[in-house]
Amino acid sequence: MRVATVTLNPALDRQLIVSNFEVNQLHRLSGPESSIITPGGKGINVAMLLDVLEIPVVAMGILAGYTGRILEEELRRLHPRITTNFVYTSGETRENITIVDPIKDTITEINSSGPEVDEKTLGIFLKRYIMTLSRVNTVVISGSVPPGVDSGYCLDLVSRAKHAGKTVVMEGIGRFFEETIRNVCPHVVRPDLRRTQTIFGRSLDTLDDYIKLARDFLDFGAEAVVISYHIVSDVVATKEGVWLFTSREKVEKSHLLGTGDAFVAGIVYGIDKGLNYFDALRYGMAAAIAETKHVEKSALSISEIEKHLDAFEVEKKA
Amino acid sequence: MKVKDVLIRDISAVFEDETIENFVRMCSMQSLSGLPVVDENMVVVGYISENDVINAAIPSYFSLLQSVSFLPDTHQLVQRLQKIKNDEVSKYMNTPAVTVKEDDTLIHVADLIIRRRLKSVPVVDDQGRLVGVVTRMSVLKGAMEKGV
Repeated sequence: MRVATVTLNPALDRQLIVSNFEVNQLHRLSGPESSIITPGGKGINVAMLLDVLEIPVVAMGILAGYTGRILEEELRRLHPRITTNFVYTSGETRENITIVDPIKDTITEINSSGPEVDEKTLGIFLKRYIMTLSRVNTVVISGSVPPGVDSGYCLDLVSRAKHAGKTVVMEGIGRFFEETIRNVCPHVVRPDLRRTQTIFGRSLDTLDDYIKLARDFLDFGAEAVVISYHIVSDVVATKEGVWLFTSREKVEKSHLLGTGDAFVAGIVYGIDKGLNYFDALRYGMAAAIAETKHVEKSALSISEIEKHLDAFEVEKKA
Repeated sequence: MKVKDVLIRDISAVFEDETIENFVRMCSMQSLSGLPVVDENMVVVGYISENDVINAAIPSYFSLLQSVSFLPDTHQLVQRLQKIKNDEVSKYMNTPAVTVKEDDTLIHVADLIIRRRLKSVPVVDDQGRLVGVVTRMSVLKGAMEKGV
Protein backbone atom coordinates (compact mmCIF):
# COMPACT_ATOMS: atom_id res chain seq x y z
CA MET A 1 0.00 0.00 0.00
CA ARG A 2 1.48 3.33 -1.00
CA VAL A 3 -1.65 5.46 -1.20
CA ALA A 4 -4.69 5.67 1.08
CA THR A 5 -7.90 7.16 -0.24
CA VAL A 6 -10.47 8.43 2.22
CA THR A 7 -14.11 8.59 1.14
CA LEU A 8 -16.27 9.64 4.06
CA ASN A 9 -19.43 9.56 1.97
CA PRO A 10 -19.13 6.80 -0.65
CA ALA A 11 -21.93 6.03 -3.06
CA LEU A 12 -23.13 3.20 -5.18
CA ASP A 13 -23.12 4.80 -8.61
CA ARG A 14 -25.82 3.79 -11.04
CA GLN A 15 -25.07 5.06 -14.53
CA LEU A 16 -27.91 4.85 -17.04
CA ILE A 17 -27.19 5.49 -20.71
CA VAL A 18 -30.40 6.85 -22.23
CA SER A 19 -30.54 8.31 -25.73
CA ASN A 20 -32.80 11.34 -26.11
CA PHE A 21 -33.53 11.52 -22.40
CA GLU A 22 -36.49 13.69 -21.46
CA VAL A 23 -38.10 14.32 -18.09
CA ASN A 24 -41.68 13.16 -17.66
CA GLN A 25 -41.22 10.42 -20.29
CA LEU A 26 -40.94 6.62 -20.10
CA HIS A 27 -37.55 5.37 -21.26
CA ARG A 28 -36.46 1.77 -21.79
CA LEU A 29 -32.81 0.81 -21.52
CA SER A 30 -31.43 -0.94 -24.59
CA GLY A 31 -29.60 -3.69 -22.65
CA PRO A 32 -27.56 -4.52 -19.56
CA GLU A 33 -24.66 -2.42 -20.87
CA SER A 34 -26.92 0.65 -20.56
CA SER A 35 -27.21 0.24 -16.80
CA ILE A 36 -23.91 0.08 -14.96
CA ILE A 37 -23.54 -0.18 -11.19
CA THR A 38 -20.13 0.71 -9.82
CA PRO A 39 -18.63 1.65 -6.48
CA GLY A 40 -18.37 5.42 -6.28
CA GLY A 41 -17.60 8.49 -4.30
CA LYS A 42 -14.61 10.59 -5.30
CA GLY A 43 -12.01 8.82 -3.16
CA ILE A 44 -13.14 5.37 -4.27
CA ASN A 45 -13.05 6.48 -7.92
CA VAL A 46 -9.48 7.67 -7.42
CA ALA A 47 -8.59 4.35 -5.73
CA MET A 48 -9.97 2.39 -8.70
CA LEU A 49 -8.02 4.54 -11.16
CA LEU A 50 -4.81 4.17 -9.15
CA ASP A 51 -5.31 0.42 -9.09
CA VAL A 52 -5.57 0.41 -12.89
CA LEU A 53 -2.34 2.44 -12.91
CA GLU A 54 -0.77 -0.28 -10.74
CA ILE A 55 -0.33 1.84 -7.62
CA PRO A 56 -0.99 -0.23 -4.46
CA VAL A 57 -3.85 1.53 -2.71
CA VAL A 58 -6.00 1.12 0.37
CA ALA A 59 -9.57 2.43 0.12
CA MET A 60 -10.94 3.70 3.42
CA GLY A 61 -14.26 5.25 4.30
CA ILE A 62 -17.59 4.90 6.03
CA LEU A 63 -20.20 2.54 4.59
CA ALA A 64 -23.67 1.61 5.76
CA GLY A 65 -26.21 -1.15 5.36
CA TYR A 66 -27.00 -3.36 2.42
CA THR A 67 -25.93 -0.78 -0.19
CA GLY A 68 -22.59 -0.41 1.59
CA ARG A 69 -21.98 -4.16 1.50
CA ILE A 70 -22.84 -4.30 -2.23
CA LEU A 71 -20.44 -1.41 -2.84
CA GLU A 72 -17.63 -3.18 -0.98
CA GLU A 73 -18.29 -6.50 -2.73
CA GLU A 74 -18.34 -4.82 -6.15
CA LEU A 75 -15.14 -2.95 -5.37
CA ARG A 76 -13.48 -6.25 -4.45
CA ARG A 77 -14.84 -8.01 -7.53
CA LEU A 78 -13.76 -5.26 -9.94
CA HIS A 79 -10.46 -4.42 -8.24
CA PRO A 80 -9.24 -7.37 -6.14
CA ARG A 81 -5.83 -5.71 -5.67
CA ILE A 82 -7.33 -2.77 -3.78
CA THR A 83 -7.02 -3.20 -0.02
CA THR A 84 -10.22 -2.24 1.78
CA ASN A 85 -10.56 -0.83 5.26
CA PHE A 86 -14.11 0.44 5.72
CA VAL A 87 -16.00 1.19 8.89
CA TYR A 88 -19.77 0.67 8.95
CA THR A 89 -22.46 2.87 10.43
CA SER A 90 -26.26 2.59 10.72
CA GLY A 91 -28.52 3.45 7.80
CA GLU A 92 -27.74 2.98 4.11
CA THR A 93 -24.89 4.18 1.90
CA ARG A 94 -26.24 6.62 -0.67
CA GLU A 95 -26.90 5.86 -4.31
CA ASN A 96 -25.93 8.33 -7.01
CA ILE A 97 -27.85 8.15 -10.26
CA THR A 98 -26.34 9.53 -13.46
CA ILE A 99 -28.26 9.64 -16.72
CA VAL A 100 -25.94 10.01 -19.68
CA ASP A 101 -27.50 11.01 -22.99
CA PRO A 102 -24.92 10.52 -25.76
CA ILE A 103 -27.25 11.97 -28.43
CA LYS A 104 -28.13 15.23 -26.70
CA ASP A 105 -24.70 15.31 -25.04
CA THR A 106 -26.07 15.80 -21.52
CA ILE A 107 -25.40 14.39 -18.08
CA THR A 108 -28.16 14.47 -15.45
CA GLU A 109 -27.04 13.61 -11.93
CA ILE A 110 -29.13 12.87 -8.84
CA ASN A 111 -27.03 12.48 -5.70
CA SER A 112 -28.38 11.64 -2.27
CA SER A 113 -26.86 12.87 0.97
CA GLY A 114 -25.75 9.69 2.74
CA PRO A 115 -26.29 8.23 6.20
CA GLU A 116 -25.94 10.17 9.43
CA VAL A 117 -22.64 9.13 10.98
CA ASP A 118 -22.54 8.88 14.77
CA GLU A 119 -19.58 9.86 16.94
CA LYS A 120 -18.74 6.28 17.86
CA THR A 121 -18.25 5.36 14.18
CA LEU A 122 -16.10 8.46 13.63
CA GLY A 123 -13.93 7.42 16.58
CA ILE A 124 -13.55 3.88 15.21
CA PHE A 125 -12.66 5.24 11.77
CA LEU A 126 -10.09 7.68 13.15
CA LYS A 127 -8.24 4.86 14.95
CA ARG A 128 -8.03 2.83 11.74
CA TYR A 129 -6.98 5.88 9.76
CA ILE A 130 -4.10 6.59 12.15
CA MET A 131 -3.01 2.95 11.94
CA THR A 132 -3.11 3.04 8.12
CA LEU A 133 -1.05 6.24 7.94
CA SER A 134 2.02 4.29 9.02
CA ARG A 135 1.78 2.16 5.88
CA VAL A 136 1.34 4.77 3.10
CA ASN A 137 3.16 7.75 1.54
CA THR A 138 0.19 9.68 0.15
CA VAL A 139 -3.31 10.30 1.44
CA VAL A 140 -6.18 11.39 -0.81
CA ILE A 141 -9.19 12.88 0.99
CA SER A 142 -11.88 13.48 -1.53
CA GLY A 143 -15.58 14.11 -1.88
CA SER A 144 -18.44 15.27 0.29
CA VAL A 145 -18.94 14.64 3.98
CA PRO A 146 -22.01 12.82 5.29
CA PRO A 147 -24.41 14.33 7.83
CA GLY A 148 -22.97 14.17 11.35
CA VAL A 149 -19.39 14.93 10.33
CA ASP A 150 -18.27 18.41 11.29
CA SER A 151 -15.54 20.41 9.55
CA GLY A 152 -13.13 19.79 12.41
CA TYR A 153 -13.07 16.09 11.58
CA CYS A 154 -11.63 16.58 8.07
CA LEU A 155 -9.22 19.10 9.44
CA ASP A 156 -8.05 16.51 11.95
CA LEU A 157 -7.57 13.87 9.23
CA VAL A 158 -5.44 16.24 7.13
CA SER A 159 -3.52 17.48 10.14
CA ARG A 160 -2.62 13.95 11.32
CA ALA A 161 -1.47 12.92 7.84
CA LYS A 162 0.68 16.04 7.47
CA HIS A 163 2.24 15.55 10.89
CA ALA A 164 3.01 11.96 9.94
CA GLY A 165 4.96 13.31 6.96
CA LYS A 166 2.52 12.16 4.28
CA THR A 167 1.65 14.02 1.11
CA VAL A 168 -1.99 15.03 1.33
CA VAL A 169 -4.24 15.57 -1.68
CA MET A 170 -7.70 17.00 -1.09
CA GLU A 171 -10.71 17.62 -3.26
CA GLY A 172 -13.96 18.99 -1.93
CA ILE A 173 -16.20 22.00 -1.58
CA GLY A 174 -18.08 23.69 1.24
CA ARG A 175 -17.41 24.78 4.77
CA PHE A 176 -15.39 21.71 5.79
CA PHE A 177 -13.13 22.15 2.75
CA GLU A 178 -12.60 25.88 3.31
CA GLU A 179 -11.87 25.44 7.02
CA THR A 180 -9.33 22.72 6.28
CA ILE A 181 -7.62 24.88 3.65
CA ARG A 182 -7.46 27.85 6.02
CA ASN A 183 -6.03 25.86 8.92
CA VAL A 184 -3.95 22.93 7.63
CA CYS A 185 -3.80 23.35 3.86
CA PRO A 186 -3.06 20.01 2.13
CA HIS A 187 -0.19 19.76 -0.37
CA VAL A 188 -2.45 19.39 -3.40
CA VAL A 189 -5.82 21.13 -3.57
CA ARG A 190 -8.66 20.82 -6.06
CA PRO A 191 -11.99 22.52 -5.30
CA ASP A 192 -14.98 20.62 -6.65
CA LEU A 193 -16.79 23.31 -8.67
CA ARG A 194 -19.44 21.11 -10.30
CA ARG A 195 -22.34 22.52 -8.32
CA THR A 196 -21.13 25.95 -7.29
CA GLN A 197 -18.61 28.52 -8.46
CA THR A 198 -18.57 30.23 -5.10
CA ILE A 199 -15.73 29.64 -2.67
CA PHE A 200 -14.46 31.62 0.34
CA GLY A 201 -17.57 33.76 -0.16
CA ARG A 202 -16.43 34.86 -3.62
CA SER A 203 -18.00 34.09 -6.95
CA LEU A 204 -15.69 32.86 -9.72
CA ASP A 205 -16.54 34.63 -12.97
CA THR A 206 -13.47 35.74 -14.89
CA LEU A 207 -10.16 33.97 -15.49
CA ASP A 208 -8.57 36.46 -13.10
CA ASP A 209 -10.91 35.27 -10.33
CA TYR A 210 -9.64 31.71 -10.87
CA ILE A 211 -6.00 32.83 -10.91
CA LYS A 212 -6.52 34.80 -7.70
CA LEU A 213 -8.12 31.76 -6.06
CA ALA A 214 -5.17 29.59 -7.11
CA ARG A 215 -2.79 32.10 -5.52
CA ASP A 216 -4.88 32.15 -2.35
CA PHE A 217 -4.52 28.37 -2.06
CA LEU A 218 -0.74 28.76 -2.46
CA ASP A 219 -0.73 31.45 0.24
CA PHE A 220 -2.56 29.07 2.57
CA GLY A 221 0.29 26.59 2.01
CA ALA A 222 -0.66 24.43 -0.97
CA GLU A 223 2.15 23.13 -3.17
CA ALA A 224 -0.06 22.43 -6.17
CA VAL A 225 -3.51 23.66 -7.13
CA VAL A 226 -5.98 22.61 -9.82
CA ILE A 227 -9.15 24.54 -10.58
CA SER A 228 -11.43 23.40 -13.34
CA TYR A 229 -12.14 26.25 -15.78
CA HIS A 230 -14.78 26.19 -18.53
CA ILE A 231 -14.82 22.41 -19.18
CA VAL A 232 -11.77 22.16 -21.48
CA SER A 233 -9.37 24.16 -19.31
CA ASP A 234 -7.84 24.00 -15.87
CA VAL A 235 -6.04 26.70 -13.95
CA VAL A 236 -3.08 25.02 -12.28
CA ALA A 237 -0.55 26.54 -9.91
CA THR A 238 2.61 25.71 -8.04
CA LYS A 239 5.05 27.92 -6.13
CA GLU A 240 6.68 28.59 -9.54
CA GLY A 241 3.65 30.15 -11.15
CA VAL A 242 0.11 29.85 -12.47
CA TRP A 243 -0.74 28.22 -15.80
CA LEU A 244 -3.77 27.56 -17.94
CA PHE A 245 -3.96 24.04 -19.35
CA THR A 246 -6.34 23.83 -22.29
CA SER A 247 -7.29 20.67 -24.13
CA ARG A 248 -6.52 20.89 -27.86
CA GLU A 249 -9.56 18.77 -28.63
CA LYS A 250 -13.23 19.49 -28.09
CA VAL A 251 -14.51 17.48 -25.15
CA GLU A 252 -17.95 15.86 -25.32
CA LYS A 253 -19.91 16.87 -22.24
CA SER A 254 -21.31 13.35 -21.85
CA HIS A 255 -17.72 12.10 -21.58
CA LEU A 256 -16.85 14.38 -18.66
CA LEU A 257 -17.92 11.86 -16.03
CA GLY A 258 -14.98 10.98 -13.81
CA THR A 259 -12.52 13.41 -15.37
CA GLY A 260 -12.00 15.27 -12.09
CA ASP A 261 -11.16 11.99 -10.36
CA ALA A 262 -8.85 11.06 -13.24
CA PHE A 263 -7.08 14.41 -12.80
CA VAL A 264 -6.49 13.66 -9.12
CA ALA A 265 -5.38 10.07 -9.88
CA GLY A 266 -2.95 11.39 -12.52
CA ILE A 267 -1.42 13.82 -10.02
CA VAL A 268 -1.07 11.10 -7.38
CA TYR A 269 0.48 8.80 -9.98
CA GLY A 270 3.01 11.53 -10.80
CA ILE A 271 3.80 12.20 -7.13
CA ASP A 272 4.17 8.47 -6.50
CA LYS A 273 6.66 8.28 -9.38
CA GLY A 274 8.70 11.09 -7.82
CA LEU A 275 7.82 13.82 -10.32
CA ASN A 276 7.82 17.48 -9.27
CA TYR A 277 4.42 19.09 -8.68
CA PHE A 278 4.23 20.76 -12.11
CA ASP A 279 4.93 17.51 -13.95
CA ALA A 280 2.50 15.69 -11.66
CA LEU A 281 -0.13 18.30 -12.67
CA ARG A 282 0.66 17.57 -16.33
CA TYR A 283 0.02 13.87 -15.67
CA GLY A 284 -3.26 14.88 -14.04
CA MET A 285 -4.37 16.86 -17.08
CA ALA A 286 -3.30 14.06 -19.43
CA ALA A 287 -5.24 11.53 -17.34
CA ALA A 288 -8.34 13.76 -17.39
CA ILE A 289 -8.19 14.12 -21.18
CA ALA A 290 -7.57 10.38 -21.60
CA GLU A 291 -10.60 9.70 -19.39
CA THR A 292 -12.82 11.76 -21.73
CA LYS A 293 -12.25 9.11 -24.43
CA HIS A 294 -14.38 6.74 -22.36
CA VAL A 295 -18.05 7.07 -21.47
CA GLU A 296 -17.59 4.69 -18.54
CA LYS A 297 -15.40 5.71 -15.61
CA SER A 298 -12.11 4.20 -14.36
CA ALA A 299 -10.92 2.95 -17.73
CA LEU A 300 -7.40 4.31 -18.07
CA SER A 301 -3.90 3.02 -18.68
CA ILE A 302 -0.44 4.46 -18.15
CA SER A 303 0.24 4.43 -21.90
CA GLU A 304 -3.03 6.28 -22.57
CA ILE A 305 -2.07 8.98 -20.06
CA GLU A 306 1.41 9.36 -21.49
CA LYS A 307 -0.03 9.55 -25.01
CA HIS A 308 -2.02 12.61 -23.87
CA LEU A 309 0.82 14.51 -22.20
CA ASP A 310 0.92 16.82 -25.24
CA ALA A 311 -2.82 16.89 -25.86
CA PHE A 312 -3.17 20.26 -24.18
CA GLU A 313 -1.74 23.73 -24.43
CA VAL A 314 0.22 25.14 -21.52
CA GLU A 315 0.03 28.88 -21.11
CA LYS A 316 1.77 30.66 -18.24
CA LYS A 317 -0.54 33.25 -16.68
CA ALA A 318 1.39 34.51 -13.71
CA MET B 1 -1.99 -22.46 -5.80
CA LYS B 2 -0.99 -19.90 -3.18
CA VAL B 3 -2.80 -17.94 -0.47
CA LYS B 4 -2.31 -14.75 -2.52
CA ASP B 5 -4.52 -16.26 -5.26
CA VAL B 6 -7.54 -16.37 -2.94
CA LEU B 7 -6.64 -13.52 -0.61
CA ILE B 8 -9.33 -10.97 0.22
CA ARG B 9 -7.43 -7.72 0.67
CA ASP B 10 -9.57 -6.48 3.53
CA ILE B 11 -7.82 -5.20 6.64
CA SER B 12 -10.90 -4.74 8.82
CA ALA B 13 -9.71 -5.43 12.35
CA VAL B 14 -10.26 -4.55 16.00
CA PHE B 15 -7.80 -3.24 18.54
CA GLU B 16 -7.09 -5.02 21.83
CA ASP B 17 -8.58 -2.18 23.89
CA GLU B 18 -11.86 -1.99 21.97
CA THR B 19 -14.98 -3.33 23.64
CA ILE B 20 -16.84 -6.54 22.95
CA GLU B 21 -19.86 -4.37 22.13
CA ASN B 22 -17.84 -2.65 19.37
CA PHE B 23 -16.66 -5.99 18.06
CA VAL B 24 -20.22 -7.39 17.89
CA ARG B 25 -21.43 -4.18 16.25
CA MET B 26 -18.73 -4.34 13.58
CA CYS B 27 -19.28 -8.03 12.85
CA SER B 28 -23.05 -7.66 12.58
CA MET B 29 -22.81 -4.60 10.30
CA GLN B 30 -20.22 -6.20 8.03
CA SER B 31 -21.69 -9.73 8.17
CA LEU B 32 -18.44 -11.14 9.55
CA SER B 33 -17.94 -14.06 11.92
CA GLY B 34 -14.73 -12.75 13.47
CA LEU B 35 -11.94 -10.22 13.16
CA PRO B 36 -8.16 -10.12 13.51
CA VAL B 37 -6.95 -8.14 16.53
CA VAL B 38 -4.12 -5.75 15.68
CA ASP B 39 -1.81 -3.32 17.45
CA GLU B 40 -1.17 0.28 16.36
CA ASN B 41 1.33 -0.93 13.73
CA MET B 42 -1.26 -3.25 12.23
CA VAL B 43 0.60 -6.31 13.55
CA VAL B 44 -1.82 -9.17 14.20
CA VAL B 45 -1.76 -9.98 17.91
CA GLY B 46 -4.83 -12.20 18.11
CA TYR B 47 -8.15 -13.21 16.61
CA ILE B 48 -11.64 -12.95 18.05
CA SER B 49 -14.69 -14.72 16.70
CA GLU B 50 -18.41 -14.75 17.47
CA ASN B 51 -17.79 -18.16 19.08
CA ASP B 52 -15.39 -16.61 21.58
CA VAL B 53 -18.10 -14.16 22.65
CA ILE B 54 -20.75 -16.88 22.86
CA ASN B 55 -18.40 -19.06 24.91
CA ALA B 56 -17.70 -16.12 27.22
CA ALA B 57 -21.41 -15.52 27.66
CA ILE B 58 -22.48 -19.05 28.53
CA PRO B 59 -21.36 -20.91 31.66
CA SER B 60 -18.24 -22.99 30.99
CA TYR B 61 -19.88 -26.35 31.70
CA PHE B 62 -22.16 -25.88 28.69
CA SER B 63 -19.23 -26.07 26.36
CA LEU B 64 -18.40 -29.41 27.97
CA LEU B 65 -21.96 -30.61 27.42
CA GLN B 66 -21.76 -29.37 23.83
CA SER B 67 -25.37 -28.24 24.03
CA VAL B 68 -27.22 -25.19 25.22
CA SER B 69 -30.43 -27.16 25.64
CA PHE B 70 -29.46 -27.44 29.31
CA LEU B 71 -29.58 -23.68 29.78
CA PRO B 72 -32.21 -23.02 32.45
CA ASP B 73 -33.27 -19.81 30.72
CA THR B 74 -31.92 -17.51 28.03
CA HIS B 75 -32.14 -14.60 30.46
CA GLN B 76 -28.90 -15.90 31.96
CA LEU B 77 -27.19 -15.60 28.56
CA VAL B 78 -28.50 -12.06 28.06
CA GLN B 79 -27.35 -11.07 31.55
CA ARG B 80 -23.86 -12.41 30.89
CA LEU B 81 -23.67 -10.62 27.55
CA GLN B 82 -24.60 -7.37 29.29
CA LYS B 83 -21.85 -8.05 31.79
CA ILE B 84 -19.10 -8.60 29.23
CA LYS B 85 -20.08 -6.04 26.59
CA ASN B 86 -17.78 -3.37 28.01
CA ASP B 87 -14.88 -5.77 28.49
CA GLU B 88 -11.88 -5.35 26.22
CA VAL B 89 -11.43 -7.61 23.21
CA SER B 90 -8.02 -8.68 24.60
CA LYS B 91 -9.81 -10.60 27.38
CA TYR B 92 -11.50 -13.04 25.01
CA MET B 93 -9.32 -13.09 21.90
CA ASN B 94 -7.31 -16.12 20.85
CA THR B 95 -3.63 -15.42 20.99
CA PRO B 96 -1.34 -15.95 19.22
CA ALA B 97 -3.60 -15.86 16.18
CA VAL B 98 -3.32 -18.52 13.53
CA THR B 99 -1.96 -16.63 10.52
CA VAL B 100 -0.65 -17.46 7.07
CA LYS B 101 1.50 -15.63 4.53
CA GLU B 102 0.71 -14.73 0.94
CA ASP B 103 3.16 -17.31 -0.41
CA ASP B 104 1.86 -20.20 1.70
CA THR B 105 0.12 -22.93 -0.25
CA LEU B 106 -3.64 -23.20 -0.44
CA ILE B 107 -3.44 -26.75 0.86
CA HIS B 108 -1.71 -25.43 4.00
CA VAL B 109 -4.45 -22.91 4.76
CA ALA B 110 -7.16 -25.48 3.88
CA ASP B 111 -5.57 -27.87 6.37
CA LEU B 112 -5.57 -25.18 9.09
CA ILE B 113 -9.18 -24.28 8.42
CA ILE B 114 -10.30 -27.91 8.71
CA ARG B 115 -8.08 -28.93 11.62
CA ARG B 116 -8.60 -25.81 13.74
CA ARG B 117 -12.24 -25.32 12.66
CA LEU B 118 -11.55 -21.77 11.50
CA LYS B 119 -13.91 -19.69 9.40
CA SER B 120 -11.34 -17.10 8.45
CA VAL B 121 -7.55 -16.84 8.68
CA PRO B 122 -5.62 -13.52 8.75
CA VAL B 123 -2.88 -13.15 6.16
CA VAL B 124 0.23 -11.27 7.27
CA ASP B 125 3.43 -9.93 5.70
CA ASP B 126 6.97 -10.68 6.89
CA GLN B 127 6.60 -8.18 9.74
CA GLY B 128 3.38 -9.84 10.91
CA ARG B 129 1.25 -6.94 9.63
CA LEU B 130 -2.25 -7.65 8.40
CA VAL B 131 -2.62 -7.66 4.60
CA GLY B 132 -5.98 -9.43 4.30
CA VAL B 133 -7.88 -12.61 5.11
CA VAL B 134 -8.73 -15.94 3.56
CA THR B 135 -12.14 -17.37 4.35
CA ARG B 136 -13.53 -20.88 4.01
CA MET B 137 -15.48 -19.69 0.99
CA SER B 138 -12.51 -18.01 -0.71
CA VAL B 139 -10.52 -21.25 -0.31
CA LEU B 140 -13.42 -23.37 -1.60
CA LYS B 141 -14.00 -21.04 -4.54
CA GLY B 142 -10.30 -20.92 -5.40
CA ALA B 143 -9.94 -24.69 -5.14
CA MET B 144 -13.02 -25.28 -7.27
CA GLU B 145 -12.00 -22.84 -9.99
CA LYS B 146 -8.26 -23.44 -10.13
CA GLY B 147 -7.47 -26.54 -8.03
CA VAL B 148 -5.17 -26.64 -5.00
